[in-house]
Amino acid sequence: MEEFTVPIGPQHPALKEPISLRMTFDGEVVKHVDVRLGYNHRGMEKMAEERSYIQNLYLTERICGICSHSHTTCFAQGVEKLMEIEPPKRGLYIRTLVAEIERVHSHLLWLGVAGHEAGFDTFFMYTWRDREIVMDILESISGNRVHYAINTFGGVRRDISETQKQTILDSLSLLKQRTDYYANIGTTEPTFVARIKGVGKLSKELALSLCAVGPTVRASGIKSDVRKDDPYAVYNELPFEVCTADTGDVLGRVVVRVNELFECYKMIEFMLKNLPAGDIAVKAPRRVKENEVVSRYEAPRGENLHYIKSNGTDKPERLKVRAPTLANYPATVEMLKGCFIADIPLIFAAIDPCICCAERMVELVNDKNGEANIVSFSDLKKLASEQYKKCGNKPEPVSIAKQLEKIRRKS
Amino acid sequence: MKIQILAFLPELLKHLFRKTATVDYPFQKLVAPEGFRGTPVLYPEKCIVCKACVRDCPAEAIEIVPVSETEKKFKMTIHNDRCVHCAQCVDSCPTDAMGMNKEFELAAFDRHNLKIDYVYVKSTPVPRTPIATNTPKTEN
Repeated sequence: MEEFTVPIGPQHPALKEPISLRMTFDGEVVKHVDVRLGYNHRGMEKMAEERSYIQNLYLTERICGICSHSHTTCFAQGVEKLMEIEPPKRGLYIRTLVAEIERVHSHLLWLGVAGHEAGFDTFFMYTWRDREIVMDILESISGNRVHYAINTFGGVRRDISETQKQTILDSLSLLKQRTDYYANIGTTEPTFVARIKGVGKLSKELALSLCAVGPTVRASGIKSDVRKDDPYAVYNELPFEVCTADTGDVLGRVVVRVNELFECYKMIEFMLKNLPAGDIAVKAPRRVKENEVVSRYEAPRGENLHYIKSNGTDKPERLKVRAPTLANYPATVEMLKGCFIADIPLIFAAIDPCICCAERMVELVNDKNGEANIVSFSDLKKLASEQYKKCGNKPEPVSIAKQLEKIRRKS
Repeated sequence: MKIQILAFLPELLKHLFRKTATVDYPFQKLVAPEGFRGTPVLYPEKCIVCKACVRDCPAEAIEIVPVSETEKKFKMTIHNDRCVHCAQCVDSCPTDAMGMNKEFELAAFDRHNLKIDYVYVKSTPVPRTPIATNTPKTEN
């Protein structure tokens, strides 16, 4: 049979956000996938260079609506390192508490989406109804459902009262009961299991070599979690296990996320019962002396990475964000290969994609004169092939700027 | 892993007799919780025009312009169409002249209708009394 190419997206009913997937099919089976990004670029990194640190705190929060706390915490942690300040214990506990409650809300949301993509809309309705309990907790703690804005440099902005603690603990028992039920349904309901079992396989070796992150890599049997590998905030004091599954399919990703929910409940309960007394924040300076830092954070979707460079003023010189979705694209391409057309939305949803988080650009900087070039993906490809043709198998340093100029002149 | 036939059925039947989970919104409203970040408001009698809120606002939604230099009169405009409701102005204010109310129904046909103007006389700065809360204030 002849192979044919179908563009899925940038605007497509199966995708909630704009991304272009060009797929080559042989009949019903996907043969090749080409992911094209850049339809949702918002220029946030450039914007960050023109704003003060305190303003950037709220800007980074708006990188993503679902893991908003992840981005601010990642940014705040990095800036705190640059400012050489240490938040007090109580502040860190509240910060981590919000982070874990956010993980609960994100995983419940994803469970609903997985149910919806698998054609199990009742499951979607139930999980999203119970997600409201978590949203109410977040609203009562921080004053907003989505953008909590609880972080500040040197701690958190709001304290938790005894009555709030009690209401959270009460809601948790209800959530636990519901999650028990979802764990049961997600792994035993025959129609649902039949739909997601064996779909979107990703082997352990591939997951490792393609640098997948978060529940995607953990579902392939790799214990990779920043909270355990490189503990930040108070994670070295909390009782929790890294959840894994060894099936490496969408079912595995459901199992990992449901088990992580139980770990979250365990941590939230521990934090509320062992909340240390004291201040919630220390005073932070406005100016940051010249330095650079990389901050890592385990967002609900995987490892989040912020690179911050300061230059002695109250504005950062450079902010680079690597959202977890970007790290999962190469693995998604492998997962999609060999699947059926009908499985595409399910597999794509299984990495919990957040496209607007992931949109960044490629910039080549000449190390000799600091000249920067923004390069399109096709130009990069041409450049790579030309360079390799020139020097055989041994890559030699060639002036990138010169080569690019040549390619541009040709085209 | 055991497969259970009709695992979903008891829950489905139970839901037939349950109350609806949603609220009949325009007719029935949920109450915003304590500490909800609604719309920013200014208490003009406390404002010393230090412009800390203007400098820290991430959405550049606050504007202060002098109206009359001799009378020390100023005008503050809060652009609610730009406001992101982060309450940083409340944290930055050294005299607690900014606050947040619980108003969240802000839809309007014209974004300029969302502007709120305050014209007031600058108050003299008084040394801040130490407050028990630990709300961090940014350095001036």
